[in-house]
Amino acid sequence: MGMAGVFKTGQSGMNVARAAIATTGHNISNANREGFSRQRVQSAPNETRTAAGSHGYVGSGAIISRIERVNDQYIEKQLRNGAKDLAHFEEKDLVLGQVEDVFNEMHGDGLNRLIATFFNEFRRLSNEPDNEAVRQSVREASQALVGDFHRLRKEVEEVRRHIDARLENYTTEINAISDEIKELNLKINILENSGAPANDLSDKRDVALKKLATYMNLNTHKDNNNNTIVEISGVGPLVTGGRSEKFSTARSPKDDQGKQEGSLDLVSTSSVQAVVTHQIKGGKLGALLEIRDQTLSTIVDRLDDLAYALTNTVNEIHIQGFTRNGLTNVEFFKPISKERAAEFLELSDAVRDNVNNIAAAAMPEAPGDNRIALVISGLQNMRLMNEGNATMDDWYNSIVSDVGVAAAKTKFGLNQQRDIITQLNRMRDQISGVSIDEETANLMQFQHAFDASAKVIQVADEMLKTVLELKR
Amino acid sequence: MRVTEHMNFNTVRDTIRRSKERMELLQRQAATLKKLNIPSDDPIGAAKVLEIRTDRVNNQQFHVNGKMAETYLENTDQALSELADIVGRAKEIALGQSSGASANGATRANVAEEVLHLFQQAVSVSNRRIGDRYIFGGYKIDKPPVDVEGNYFGDDGQMMAEIARDVYLSVNVPGVEAFNTDPKSQIKQPSGYWNGLCGPAGDMLELADEPNKENINIFGEVQNLRIALLANDVDGIRNTLERLDDMQSRLVAMRAKVGSRLNGLQNTINSIERQNVVQANLSSSLEDADVAQVVSDLAKEETIFRGALASSQKLIQPTLMDFLK
Repeated sequence: MGMAGVFKTGQSGMNVARAAIATTGHNISNANREGFSRQRVQSAPNETRTAAGSHGYVGSGAIISRIERVNDQYIEKQLRNGAKDLAHFEEKDLVLGQVEDVFNEMHGDGLNRLIATFFNEFRRLSNEPDNEAVRQSVREASQALVGDFHRLRKEVEEVRRHIDARLENYTTEINAISDEIKELNLKINILENSGAPANDLSDKRDVALKKLATYMNLNTHKDNNNNTIVEISGVGPLVTGGRSEKFSTARSPKDDQGKQEGSLDLVSTSSVQAVVTHQIKGGKLGALLEIRDQTLSTIVDRLDDLAYALTNTVNEIHIQGFTRNGLTNVEFFKPISKERAAEFLELSDAVRDNVNNIAAAAMPEAPGDNRIALVISGLQNMRLMNEGNATMDDWYNSIVSDVGVAAAKTKFGLNQQRDIITQLNRMRDQISGVSIDEETANLMQFQHAFDASAKVIQVADEMLKTVLELKR
Repeated sequence: MRVTEHMNFNTVRDTIRRSKERMELLQRQAATLKKLNIPSDDPIGAAKVLEIRTDRVNNQQFHVNGKMAETYLENTDQALSELADIVGRAKEIALGQSSGASANGATRANVAEEVLHLFQQAVSVSNRRIGDRYIFGGYKIDKPPVDVEGNYFGDDGQMMAEIARDVYLSVNVPGVEAFNTDPKSQIKQPSGYWNGLCGPAGDMLELADEPNKENINIFGEVQNLRIALLANDVDGIRNTLERLDDMQSRLVAMRAKVGSRLNGLQNTINSIERQNVVQANLSSSLEDADVAQVVSDLAKEETIFRGALASSQKLIQPTLMDFLK
């Protein structure tokens, strides 16, 4: 090996040190970027050459073999799953909070109070069946009750609309992220085909995958060509290497799995069936769909059942009675069908127009006869709901309590999931996070290496001088 | 373990968030003095609280019903007592005029005048009202149940009042039941939802339809006495004696019945009041925050929060950079 080789050796050391310092700088600059993995310069010995006049091999410095990111793909995967569950609970918590507000009876007058008032007004009527003022107040209480049924129905519908609006936004976001992943796949492929790992782009893709995972259950894996494949669990591919599928929403009629008339369906090119509403599980979409099509549908059904039972039982008795004017067969509520009963619940025209059409008596010409009023008030304690197992009060209270149970369960799950995510983030940070102290120490170490390598060149220079001066 | 700045700051953020979350909850409890603010705070408790509220609303109404029943029954009792006095006086007269020793045609004609007054008094008592409702009319409360001749125009309607959950009490005595010793039933109770409605009180009209029993009517009997007196018919007067006696026992029996209803009513009202207290306690234990507990928890949480802030200051340490001068 010649004298010039020593110059080269020194220069290679400076190169490696310079790259290491640059990488350290990169690490420090990106210390707070979400999803960043610290990078390390891996160097390797340069090709060795035989030293002049010997059989030994003398090293000839170092080369940068690769710059890699410090990252554990298994933890990344767990983080994706964790983020998905967290998003699922967060989304549920948000929407259930709204539902809970609708049914929060803890502070004010709600349907519970109005049902009790309704029946007690009939008790008052039974005390004074001949008193017109009491009849007025029976009608007022009934109207308030009807109004509250409408309010509940409307507010639940409002929550549904809100959910649909979110679904629509999310499909746009999903499309944007899928596109981003597709682009990243293409770029990473080009870069890595040249042999070097695409560290920063891989980090970026990990972040995008994590974001995408918050929307629904996904499977992510790499195929033989090192393409990242994202599949929607149970549906089909969402991103395949350089190709991404599209999500959209469409209004459609009621289906048999709890989706109501006019609610949005999810449509995806991932699946041949196009409509994927009920195949999507987990994540934000799963949370919204579950609440819209299960929780809310059940609640509305139960409200409808209640309104229907109220109309029917009250009417059944009321038509047997006689009004103040001696008429019989007069309905108290307008007859309705079970479908959307809470929405269509209404006082009958007769009762709405004239309080004397409220029947309190079981026979004509008996102003003191209170039997009908008495029996109607007695409905309060009759087990008319749930196949004779619950009173109307119980039935409604159980809606309130079920909403509470669902909300409480979600809150519990949310807190638990937050703990898990915190823990996973710590694990990721332990491996991939940037420690400023560590980087500073590295900076010094590499700086010294740089200095020392420069010194090698200086020494080589002096050696060369010495050799040149031999001639004189 | 590698500890990065990111981890430090995350820990700081996390502890502060958690502490603030707990403080928020405690502050809400302290501000409302309730631990049950939304159903999810205690879903089962929430349903129970709603149930208790319904009971409370119902009990208020039951209390009103009870008071109304009390007014009715007391007035009825008063009227029955007056009627019994009238019959008693008529009996005295009959007794006095039924022997030849102390009475003769002239005295009988004189007292006949008094018996006429007794008759009119009986009609007037029978048409007693509360407000504008006639208490002896059965369901026909809008017209006087007895006319000047002593004919009854009411029916045997029993006005039931619910004085506690599923406890029904008849608040009136239909005239037909009070004025006759063997009344005939008129009103049939419909079936269906009515079953059991009037059961617990067990107090519907006892219509003893015994075919052989003679029916004595208070107005008819007083009239009989008057006519016998006017006609100076000693046997006729004697005949009324026993029947007036039956009539009086009937009225006394009715009073006893009303009295027992009043007793039962009083018991029920008392038990509702006791129930209200018990339920208020239960509802309070479910709903109300323990103020001392909340305030002390809040103070504790504040200390924890300050601790978190103070330790954050320590966590944000100088780095190696600061020493590389």
